[in-house]
Amino acid sequence: MTTYTVYKEQLPGLFEKWSQQHALHVPAKLREGFYDLVPWKKGLEIAWDFDVAYNSPKRFLLPPRETLITFNLKTCEAAPVFEAPPQILFGVHPYDVKAINQLDQLLESGAPDQNYVRRRAATVIMAFEPLTVSPAAFWATVGAATAAHGYDLYWTKIGPAAFTVEVGSVRGEELLAMGGPLLLSTAGDKEGARRAKARILFKARRSGLRYNWEETPRLLAKCWDSPLWRRYSQMCLACGSCNLVCPTCYCFDIREEADDLLEEGIRYREWDGCMLESFAKVAGNHNFRPKAQDRYRHRYFRKGKYIYDKIGELGCVGCGRCVRACTAGIANPLKVFNELWEETVHEH
Amino acid sequence: MNTKLFSPYVPRPVTLVEKTQLSDFVTRFTFEQDNGKPLAHKPGQFVNLSVYGIGEAPFSISSPPRRTHNTFEIAVRRIGAVTGALHALEPGAKVGLRGPYGSSFPVMKFVGKDVLIVAGGLGYIPLRSLLFYQLRHRDEFGRMVLMVGTREPKERIFVDEIADLAKSGDIEVLETVDMPDDTWKGNVGVITTLLPKAELDPGNTFVAMVGPPIMYRFVIAECRKKGIASDQIFVSLERKMKCGLGKCGHCQINELNTCIDGPVFCYTDIEAYQEAI
Repeated sequence: MTTYTVYKEQLPGLFEKWSQQHALHVPAKLREGFYDLVPWKKGLEIAWDFDVAYNSPKRFLLPPRETLITFNLKTCEAAPVFEAPPQILFGVHPYDVKAINQLDQLLESGAPDQNYVRRRAATVIMAFEPLTVSPAAFWATVGAATAAHGYDLYWTKIGPAAFTVEVGSVRGEELLAMGGPLLLSTAGDKEGARRAKARILFKARRSGLRYNWEETPRLLAKCWDSPLWRRYSQMCLACGSCNLVCPTCYCFDIREEADDLLEEGIRYREWDGCMLESFAKVAGNHNFRPKAQDRYRHRYFRKGKYIYDKIGELGCVGCGRCVRACTAGIANPLKVFNELWEETVHEH
Repeated sequence: MNTKLFSPYVPRPVTLVEKTQLSDFVTRFTFEQDNGKPLAHKPGQFVNLSVYGIGEAPFSISSPPRRTHNTFEIAVRRIGAVTGALHALEPGAKVGLRGPYGSSFPVMKFVGKDVLIVAGGLGYIPLRSLLFYQLRHRDEFGRMVLMVGTREPKERIFVDEIADLAKSGDIEVLETVDMPDDTWKGNVGVITTLLPKAELDPGNTFVAMVGPPIMYRFVIAECRKKGIASDQIFVSLERKMKCGLGKCGHCQINELNTCIDGPVFCYTDIEAYQEAI
């Protein structure tokens, strides 16, 4: 894999060029402890040491609300709507790259979701090796510390003003070359990147699962009737915050609205959440998951078992966003999985 | 179709050609595909119908597959926004259609076997698709038994059709209601009370059942008691199928997506899933 070394002083020029053809988003500090990817503009201070973007990057690929079709109420004809603005996400941590890879697999499988596929194709992912670890994060122990693919460029800060940039795609390399001649990384620079990665991995491992993450589906298979589900879920406010911030939650509702004259209308999708009370409710008001306990368990089974059974990876990438978003303090995959492990330890 | 502009979320227009009231709240709708083609569905599948401006909802197809007609039927209970809007339509009106989607009853497996069809309430609607497919190929199947259970006599649907079936000699029909009124002379009790009345050959009988969520576990237990194996039992399960593509997450039964893995399941395949029955 080709790796180039890029210096900080080159960045404003690159960003300037990229932002002419793409919507460029970079990490910035919103207020103390809150970071997010925001549209880049000249002079914006980049938060290199951000621990986590409080809003996950899924919103760039599966927006909170997205029009799917337009229709005519008179003729009953409908047409697809595709919006896929060219965009660059600069500063996506590897666990979020993993999350995007997961969305790719799930939304492209079966009948590919054309809206997602197009947005994804128009999105350049520039991964960035984290410099700090969010106190709620545990990505290092769920197999999400590195992303083997899914990025166009992978940036690692190797000094106060230098980065190594691993090339993940031709598109990424071409974007990098817009800044002028490229400088191949020296063995020393590559070693610097290796150390930077090892350093952050060491920090990230301080908080983690008490068992090998690949055991999670087998662990959950034994825990359907665990008292834990009730213990935690009895405090659930059914607000869906955990679903909203989760980089791998992609469930959506489909709604529509018509214009004042009832002639034309749009049908759109909107983020939905399995923790919301009406998520599995059908016509006639039969609710297939009526209790908070059913919904809470379902979410953890999706993260820890159902997704794994489909694609061989956990549905949780350990970003810790839900831990921070949960008002009741019950959304915490690390705690839940570890406690289930403790509960069943006599069986191991 | 321009593949560049293909999206699985775009419905195609169909026209309502006939509307028949079946009970106070249930109406049968016959639609015609504007593209002139047969729907090409299999018994047990469903479609997503759009009443534009109101919304889209999934409905079981209640007519058998037809090779030569571009019409198909659904029967709908008026209970919410989309079903209310559907009931307000008159022949000639157009709606949007996606599908057919989902799995179907494995009719080829039923060939040469006895078939028991258990319909609880509105469950008769999707089962009609299977029932009339089989009746059209009557010689290819063994004994056919239909059990119909309804809550109250006035909620019975397809009353004349079921009476005709009973007279036809092609199929044995057993009916029950939970709460009889003065007019009802037949069996009283939940649908499981019908099972002991049919002498089935358990090793040679396949069961297809559709009904309200509560029905399945009792009928399945009764079938198992009779010695019918799990892999001879087929159920169609209802969930909130929204996208029909296995994406939106609403219809999950544990890790299964009812819209693509179901709605028809062999009981063996879902026995282990806690959320199924």
